[in-house]
Amino acid sequence: MNTPMVEARGVHKSYAGIEVLKGVDLTVTRGEVTCLIGPSGSGKSTLLRCINHLEKHDAGELRVDGGLVGYEARGGKLYELNDKQICAERAQIGMVFQRFNLFQHLTVLENVTVGQVKVKGSSVEAANAKARELLTRVGLESKEKNYPSQLSGGQQQRVAIARALAMEPKLMLFDEPTSALDPELVGEVLDVMKDLARSGMTMIVVTHEMNFAKEVANTVYFLDGGVIEESGDPRVVLTTPSSERLKSFLSKVL
Amino acid sequence: MAMDGDGTVKVVPVRHYSRWAGVACALIFIAMLVHTLLSRVPDTTGQMVCHVVNGARKCQPAEHWRFYWNVVGQYFTTSEVLHGLLLTLELTALAMIIGIVLGLVLAVMRLSHSRLLSSTAWSYTWFFRGTPVLVQLTFWYFIHALYSNLTIGLPFVNVTFVTINTNSIFTNFIAAMVALGTNEAAYFSEIARSGLIAVDEGQTEAASSLGMTRGQTLRLVVLPQAMRVILPPTGNEVISMLKTSSLAMTISVVELFGATSNISAGNYEIMPLLIVASLWYLIVTTVLSIGQYYLERHYAKGALRTPPPTPIQRIRSDVRGILSKFRTKRGVQVAVAP
Repeated sequence: MNTPMVEARGVHKSYAGIEVLKGVDLTVTRGEVTCLIGPSGSGKSTLLRCINHLEKHDAGELRVDGGLVGYEARGGKLYELNDKQICAERAQIGMVFQRFNLFQHLTVLENVTVGQVKVKGSSVEAANAKARELLTRVGLESKEKNYPSQLSGGQQQRVAIARALAMEPKLMLFDEPTSALDPELVGEVLDVMKDLARSGMTMIVVTHEMNFAKEVANTVYFLDGGVIEESGDPRVVLTTPSSERLKSFLSKVL
Repeated sequence: MAMDGDGTVKVVPVRHYSRWAGVACALIFIAMLVHTLLSRVPDTTGQMVCHVVNGARKCQPAEHWRFYWNVVGQYFTTSEVLHGLLLTLELTALAMIIGIVLGLVLAVMRLSHSRLLSSTAWSYTWFFRGTPVLVQLTFWYFIHALYSNLTIGLPFVNVTFVTINTNSIFTNFIAAMVALGTNEAAYFSEIARSGLIAVDEGQTEAASSLGMTRGQTLRLVVLPQAMRVILPPTGNEVISMLKTSSLAMTISVVELFGATSNISAGNYEIMPLLIVASLWYLIVTTVLSIGQYYLERHYAKGALRTPPPTPIQRIRSDVRGILSKFRTKRGVQVAVAP
């Protein structure tokens, strides 16, 4: 099992003629936490969305768990995967969104069980048991009957994490999970993420929380203008940046 | 501030003079309405009715209800009328089912990435919204003039799978059902589309990220939330369809209005039978509105922090409010915090 969990080689992506990713290389080792930092519009979220195929990358090689994202290589050709195969790939990758995106019409418990029952085919009892266990883990066991609109932002984001974990993903993607939260609620979400990192989950986190990156990440990537400007151990990269761009970025966010 | 000995102060509520004037006008109007509904007028026949009162014979012209309530009552539950009502309900329900199913398909087609699918759906809506429903109804009624046989097969090559005689399928009722249903689909597709695009894109993304297929995403995540937007105008459409179905009498479907018209054609009691039909339409509309209310409440789950009260709860709280207004005197004594 020495293949990296995620491997990107020269990944390109354009929207309507504007190139957002201009050849990104990245390696995510199993069981490690990788943080993507950079100014807005630098392509961090796009890269994350390419990894679970919410966006289709235009060029380059992108592998998750050794397999190509969205394609199958057979006999020297790339075959595009059909909807069902893409869904099966996505089911193994958890994603947490900036704006939580909890299903508004379902209770907290239903939010955490719907994927297990409808996608993985678990029984309702098993799904409920797992959901309760996960809700306890994120500290929301008492809220299972509430609807998302009745929860604070921090609570909603913790439910969203539980919802993603319920699918037993091999990789978790976090797209600015604390950016839409009141400052006082950021901590409770970061705590859950730290706990998850300690449990050995492979995580890719797009974030502006430099302290979280320093404390938790094994590797940090600094994206700017669609390319990786700098990468490495966060304690080194974030304290003694070598590029001028990272220096000026850090001086603004810290 | 002048305070009483016990630390309270008199609060004088504002007087709403113009509102009171409006209330007075409304009350007069309601009284006029009740009076005319219950009024009796002399018969046009000039017949006199005589009574003996205190030994004296008194005569006066014969009277009848202005609104012929006795005749209305006489015909209100005749089997002809009830049969017509049943047909109206059937026609409304079946046309709405066709409209909703077909409309939903059209809405999804309209939102498809395929230009061909979306423009096909657009053209359908363009055609069926662009011609009067009465014309469409008549068109389907006479469809056998265009197609004496209905054939399912492939165009341009001579391959046919099924052939059926048009007249054997397109009875009056079926023609009315198809006409009203296909017309409704055009309107409902726009309602459904507005509901589907009202659901935040993040919901679709979250569903995809859990590995749900497009069908599951639509069924489990998008549609239940779109229902909140779709239901109120759909309730409108159902009620509208209930009444539009009366057009089917023009192609000799004996639904409610057709039944009452047939009766009045025989006995010339035109007004009473129009009232019979109207009252039934009102009753069904009332039942539908109540149903719509509870359906909307069901789909409001999670969208509001506190669900709105049911009508019964609201009436109860209204009554309580009015009672408490009478109980407390004007110029209430209100405690003032020291």
